[in-house]
Amino acid sequence: MSLRIYAIAYLLFLYAPIILLPIFAFNDATIIAFPLSGFTTNWFAELATNKSLHAAVENSLFIAVITALLSTWLGLCAARAGAMHQFPLKAGIMGFIMLPLVLPEIIVAVSLLVVVVQVLELGMSNWTIIAAHVLICTPFCIAILNGAFQNLDPSLEEAAMDLGESRFSAFRLVTLPLVMPGIIASMLIAFTISLDEFIIAFFLSGSSPTMPVYIWGLLRFPASLPVVMALGTILVAMSIILLTIAELLRRRGMARAGVKDKGGFL
Amino acid sequence: MTALITLTGVNKYYADYHALRDINLTINEGEFFSLLGPSGCGKTTLLRTIAGFEMPSDGVVMIGGKDMAGVPANLRPTNMVFQSYAIFPHLTVAENVAFGLRKSKEIDKQTKAKMVAEALAMVGLDGYGKRAAHALSGGQRQRVALARALILKPKVLLLDEPLSALDKKMREQMQVELIRLQRQVGITFILVTHDQEEALVMSDRIAVMFEGEIGQLADPETLYRRPNSRRVAQFIGKMNMLDATVEVVDEVIDLTVRGLGSMQIEREQAPEGGQVGSAVVGIRPETLGILFEGETTERKLVDGVVDEVVYYGDMTYYDVRIEGVEQPLNIAMKNLIGRPVLEVGAKTQVIWDERSLVLLP
Repeated sequence: MSLRIYAIAYLLFLYAPIILLPIFAFNDATIIAFPLSGFTTNWFAELATNKSLHAAVENSLFIAVITALLSTWLGLCAARAGAMHQFPLKAGIMGFIMLPLVLPEIIVAVSLLVVVVQVLELGMSNWTIIAAHVLICTPFCIAILNGAFQNLDPSLEEAAMDLGESRFSAFRLVTLPLVMPGIIASMLIAFTISLDEFIIAFFLSGSSPTMPVYIWGLLRFPASLPVVMALGTILVAMSIILLTIAELLRRRGMARAGVKDKGGFL
Repeated sequence: MTALITLTGVNKYYADYHALRDINLTINEGEFFSLLGPSGCGKTTLLRTIAGFEMPSDGVVMIGGKDMAGVPANLRPTNMVFQSYAIFPHLTVAENVAFGLRKSKEIDKQTKAKMVAEALAMVGLDGYGKRAAHALSGGQRQRVALARALILKPKVLLLDEPLSALDKKMREQMQVELIRLQRQVGITFILVTHDQEEALVMSDRIAVMFEGEIGQLADPETLYRRPNSRRVAQFIGKMNMLDATVEVVDEVIDLTVRGLGSMQIEREQAPEGGQVGSAVVGIRPETLGILFEGETTERKLVDGVVDEVVYYGDMTYYDVRIEGVEQPLNIAMKNLIGRPVLEVGAKTQVIWDERSLVLLP
């Protein structure tokens, strides 16, 4: 019984702040406080007209899409190699490329800043952020794709080659369709991580901020707080939808490969 | 008989590991050939070398008179049934079977569909075409894998331990079906197996492999009755080994076998020729016998004491100690009417015959 209360309290603690977002996003007052004063969609309307916000969202979407593509591609190569081939120091190498998963982002951000500015002497741009985001997203992609490849019989590609297909078309016709749900799931998760990543983007963005950095900037003006709430509401909704799609695809992949679901990444 | 596959001086190294040692082998057209050996003996490596998944470190592989050096698996006239069957789980049974026909653009859709139906009928899976491949049982997957390989009419079908994943009943049924299928299509089958019984039942010829080399290559009967070495004798079936001393090797061989005494055997009972000096002789359990009360024999007898009894229903296996020999003799007896099952410690007489001996170096 006490465990049940604990579980409920835990969920409340976890999700209550997020539920406040939509509540105040539709509240007709600039001050974030109860009692609520009335329903409005003004804040959403204001979002639609804010030019600098649009620029920030555009930056973020661009970065997130490129990051999703690159890190999934890298993850695909790593997961395939890990699942299908034996090579010296395999365990060590696989561990090493998973390391960014536990590296503090602020450390990654500072060291990348030093590398980009001092060593490479490059300017800040969306591409510097993309490089950093690929670094932190790739381990997640590998983790997801590993699952997809581990369920794959290594003889399948050989069987396709034995039946007359070249190495590449064997991969395209057999491996790719079987891991496709994993690829999509991996892209969605990389996209989500990149989209709301703050610390690295804060350090590495030049004159054009990404969306999280822009939101942080808005917080200095109390009057714009409800707009942030409205934006947050949209982001939460989008995250939930994307992660749900990712999980559904992963399950479909399992079912298609005819293996038992042992619980996924999420 | 025409040679289809010729391997000459084939070696394979993985770093320091010598997986195949100087393999010389000819496999004929229409033959059911088996590679038999314990795990790690190189039999699968040899099969994969023929298939084109492994390239030999040196030596020549010829298939149908063509040198296969540098020819990848997809361009070889071989098809393989994998140990895991490697059925494509995202395709239907029919799509799996038709997979190899993708490249043949000149065959139209209807002909392809007909070929798939025929291939499925051949392996006893009529009407399974629309099923999802991942919903099949082990035996059905096996049949799909066979149909998928045979539809391409390869010169050689390679089978990598195809029956090891099936239960005993299913395995025995598939053995018979594979033999029937091989006779029906008439192409060369090369089977890799660690199951000596399976190899004996199915093959025209068997190559027994140990540690990367071929220990003996012969038809099943020769392999069973006249193994050329102790390791082959012990790997194929059960074999009693007795120390012996060879005295004269001439038209016939004179020797003394410990526990059985002096005797003469024919030259052909020594597959490796036989040399004067110490050797061993092998005797199969079913060529020995126990003289039960009321039975008579014209063959030779030696006194013994029952050391162990294993009852199998149709057969009883006895371990019988005879004087002067440490290891008891294993004897297989049919449980015919009127024959009792002896008890441990019973005094008995062992029937033997020098014609069933094989002299091993």
